[in-house]
Amino acid sequence: MSLVSGPGRGGITDDRLPHELRLFVDKHVCYIQSLDTRKDELEYWLTEHLRLSGLYWGLTALHLLGRPDGLPRNEVLDFVMSCMHDNGGFGAAPGHDAHMLYTISAVQILATLDAFGELEERVGGGRQKIGQYIASLQDTTTGTFAGDEWGETDTRFLYGALNALSLLGLLDLVNINQAVEHIQECANFDGGYGTSPGAESHAGQIFTCVAALSIAGRLDLVDRDKLGGWLSERQLKNGGLNGRPEKKEDVCYSWWVASSLAMIGRLHWIDAEKLTKFILNCQDPELGGFADRPGNMVDVFHTVFGIAGLSLVKYAGLVEVDPVYCMPLAVTKRALGKLK
Amino acid sequence: MSKYSDDPAWSDIVPLPQDDGGPNPLAAIAYKDEYSEAMSYLRAVMAENEMSERVLGLTEHIISMNPAHYTVWLYRAKCLFTLSSDLKAEIAWLNPTALKHLKNYQIWHHRQTIIEKLDSADGEVTFISSMLEADSKNYHVWSYRQWLVRRFDLWHEGELEAVEGMLKEDVRNNSAWNHRWFVVFGNEKMEGVDDGVLEREMDYAKAAIYMTPQNQSPWNYLRGLLRYAKLPASTLKEFALEFASPEKPDEVHSSHALDLLADIYAEEENKKEAEKALDLLAKRFDPIRANYWNYRKSLLELPAAAS
Repeated sequence: MSLVSGPGRGGITDDRLPHELRLFVDKHVCYIQSLDTRKDELEYWLTEHLRLSGLYWGLTALHLLGRPDGLPRNEVLDFVMSCMHDNGGFGAAPGHDAHMLYTISAVQILATLDAFGELEERVGGGRQKIGQYIASLQDTTTGTFAGDEWGETDTRFLYGALNALSLLGLLDLVNINQAVEHIQECANFDGGYGTSPGAESHAGQIFTCVAALSIAGRLDLVDRDKLGGWLSERQLKNGGLNGRPEKKEDVCYSWWVASSLAMIGRLHWIDAEKLTKFILNCQDPELGGFADRPGNMVDVFHTVFGIAGLSLVKYAGLVEVDPVYCMPLAVTKRALGKLK
Repeated sequence: MSKYSDDPAWSDIVPLPQDDGGPNPLAAIAYKDEYSEAMSYLRAVMAENEMSERVLGLTEHIISMNPAHYTVWLYRAKCLFTLSSDLKAEIAWLNPTALKHLKNYQIWHHRQTIIEKLDSADGEVTFISSMLEADSKNYHVWSYRQWLVRRFDLWHEGELEAVEGMLKEDVRNNSAWNHRWFVVFGNEKMEGVDDGVLEREMDYAKAAIYMTPQNQSPWNYLRGLLRYAKLPASTLKEFALEFASPEKPDEVHSSHALDLLADIYAEEENKKEAEKALDLLAKRFDPIRANYWNYRKSLLELPAAAS
């Protein structure tokens, strides 16, 4: 799935809006399906280092739109497997180094397609191999996780590790308590969390920390009222959400902020109706896709997080999303249920 | 025409084109050709694990076209270390490259790897300042700065002064406020701070609030100080009353002051005033979060509300 932006722009910036306040499902499906046909555009190739995550975004968006068969299952599976390395990690595309982020995307896609059986058929012991790769990236002195062998650490990687390992049923390969302690060290004076101890609170990082605590069964450690207060303060008068104080709104924070609020049971602290309007104003009603804010180019990243945000606030007709995994709730229930 | 196929220095390499199972569609634009050719040479040298000067040149070329390609950065770092290259020269090249690609993220980890190996922070703070001049809230730059301060023990090397300079430029820069907290309280080797420092920080945040009463960052900072020092909210009662009072709804200069006052009245078990403040927030000054303020009101009914 390519990350090519456009062709369309989100939103209509004049007063024609009111009658447009609906979700253009078919347009978004076509938009996502068309992404992989745009190989004559330079940007297609310049975004190759993101492709596997792009596939996860596109596939998840289609599932949430109720079109799980929108992409050819076998081709998706073939592409995912072509990104796997001998060490159990996945690169963004064939020939790219293995990295935590793409390994998580691969596991999420495999879980969504219910394809862990096929993984084993294609790579004997594949599940275990992936689990071992992820576990090898835990920093045993701090409990956090690196993105690859080069050692850059980030709470994004920690969350991703717990996300993927839980879907694989292999959480026991890592030291959960130590990971939880690390997240607590990332808690800031304002109630939020950052990328590492001391780093500024950021809604994206808050999502990763809260979701990781949720997977670890340790949401009791979160000061829900304080964090919920900070998160709900992210809503601006236009209904959109920003990621930090004094920053602009962006559709992707519809996901990071709202999912975090949902996990701590405080989603009703923001105005869902205004958020819905903001998100819908970011779609391109003609060519499909969502932009970060009205008037900008659409892309698949903002498309999935816009749709997932709408699903969180129960927009009619969408499949229910799991706020912890950003996957359809039915999928995570199935994947996690199989393990019990 | 072609940068590599016509260059004798590369004549021993058979480029490996992208294998995407179909005819190669990369023909229309010259720039596209340039990128695709360079990538096909990269695939070929990576297949042989070649570490050489020409590989450094090739990675530099690809990075100039696509700095987000993480595999290229990693291969470049491996190559630099294998060849024992001049790492100061690498930093000198990285500086303009980072300034050209402000939103790029891979470059910061590369820089950290190089500086770690160089074991010297010389010139880094100056460079960071020029980055922040271009984008004062860049998350990667601030994270890198924190790493640098910790790694080279720069806590007392002008960080506080630098942050003050930035807040003077833009008192709403939340990243700078966060860095201030980090510089004052973030040193793990330090055992608490004395009362003088606490007072200085209180005064600093208050002065910022006088300038911009509706600015979230200094209010958050002030509240953080209360929590850190385990002081009751009522410590700030007089100060908050300068900006708002539930009794004078037409003279509210800061919703954050009302928010704090609600906590202060709750602490004092003055339920009536606390409710007034929260009602004003829910109905007039921050209605988009009415549910939040109403929840806060419901807490007043609980016996533990004051704690």
